[in-house]
Amino acid sequence: MLALSLTNGLVIGIVYALTALGVSLVVGIMNVVNFAHGEFYILAGYFSYLFAHTLGIHPLAAMVIAVGLVFLLGLVVEYTLIRPTYGDDMYSLILTFILSIVFQSLFLLVFGPYPNKPPSWIKGATEVFGLFHYGNQRLAALAAGVVVIALFFAMLKLTWFGRMIRAAAQDREMAELNGINTTRLNLLSFGLGCALAAAAGVILAPVFPVTPTAGTPVALTAFVCVVLGGMGSMSGCVLGGLVLGVVENLGAAYVSTGYKHVFMFLILILVLLFRPAGLFGRREV
Amino acid sequence: MFKIENLDVFRGETQVLWGVGLEVAPGERVAILGSNGAGKSSLMAAITGLLRPRRGNIIFNDRALVGLKPYQITQLGIALVPEGRRVYKGMSVRENLEMGAFVRRGRPRLKESIERVFGLFPILGQRSAQGAGTLSGGEQQMLAIGRALMSLPDLLLIDELSLGLAPRVTKEIYAALASLGSEITVILVEQNVELALRHSERAYIVESGRVTGHGVSTELIDDPDIRRAYLGM
Repeated sequence: MLALSLTNGLVIGIVYALTALGVSLVVGIMNVVNFAHGEFYILAGYFSYLFAHTLGIHPLAAMVIAVGLVFLLGLVVEYTLIRPTYGDDMYSLILTFILSIVFQSLFLLVFGPYPNKPPSWIKGATEVFGLFHYGNQRLAALAAGVVVIALFFAMLKLTWFGRMIRAAAQDREMAELNGINTTRLNLLSFGLGCALAAAAGVILAPVFPVTPTAGTPVALTAFVCVVLGGMGSMSGCVLGGLVLGVVENLGAAYVSTGYKHVFMFLILILVLLFRPAGLFGRREV
Repeated sequence: MFKIENLDVFRGETQVLWGVGLEVAPGERVAILGSNGAGKSSLMAAITGLLRPRRGNIIFNDRALVGLKPYQITQLGIALVPEGRRVYKGMSVRENLEMGAFVRRGRPRLKESIERVFGLFPILGQRSAQGAGTLSGGEQQMLAIGRALMSLPDLLLIDELSLGLAPRVTKEIYAALASLGSEITVILVEQNVELALRHSERAYIVESGRVTGHGVSTELIDDPDIRRAYLGM
């Protein structure tokens, strides 16, 4: 039971982490809290369902196309809705909130209220450490999440684009003085943030089907991960995601599934009580 | 090479520079003198594009800079060592230098430039893998200068080099700058007037947002008015 809950926690935790990385990126670079983050996650789930199930494209290709499309949509949203609000964070907050409602209504209109599920990549189950049988699809989701997160961190560390992101997150004006076009960086960061949500969506949708309103808890959890890990810390929000995933599942297994979200906020309150800047947060001086 | 004509700059609704004009020849070192709040940093911000002048011209290598964004101005070959150094504390020394070479003109010669900076400030070479936040103030200033040099600028702006540094460290950094010779043009903002005059060929004096005088540094240092006003003698 313990091992199973831990594994469940890791699978969901990795997906939380992936979603939270997108939030953290957009907050760090643009100081914009994207309330529609969860809807981009759901949209990617719907896209992969649509392409793989309805159009019969190979599930993996459908996932890649779905993430690509959400990335492009993210660019459009940044360009048309977020860019005019630079300098006033409140406007972008309200706009993305409205956007999330518009998305939810559109999902309901197009796909209906029923859960939709893209086909699994693989069938069957594997015996894990001789302890329990675990669905191959969930194991594949875990592996895929780890790979995407590893790629993201490699990108941050090794590429010019990654250095741009880290520099601008620390000192935007200085980054601009070093020759970075921060307006274009905003555009790409927002698109990438949405693409990370989309990656989480396509990875988890075969396990947890998407519904029109399922994005709200996803975004909420992602915000909690970011705060838990410490604002501005990418590795912190990965840790935050894993902690949340594991705690939620242990709590659900040993106490009650009904209290799932209580555990999440309990952890958040405890961390904020003893480490106000988050697990990896830099204390402001 | 570099010329400012009749520059009016506002911060919000407050005018901070009135009709400022100055001229710098290639290879020259020019100091901007003035007390706190005289407008020196506003002038730096206007040159680098962080503040948009309301009137006047800034001409650099025959190109008008007014209206360009900071990143475009950097691409043209102006680099700023900002007040307070502003190194990227969460990145290593080497990564900070790499960021300096982000511009198109800097990137192809990145390796060579890093060696050059390490030659200029050997301590940075020893600490290249260390986080910039762990450096001392003097080392951070060296890093900020090194980062600016990485873009291979034609014009280097240095804002308040000696602020908060021990005299010995300041001397070391000025010596390193002097060793660059006239291959690079420098505009030096420095509230330590004596230092500024000793390390420049000419100087402009800014008071309350206006240029109130200029001259050859070696003459200004002996000027009784200057000595009384700025050197406390």
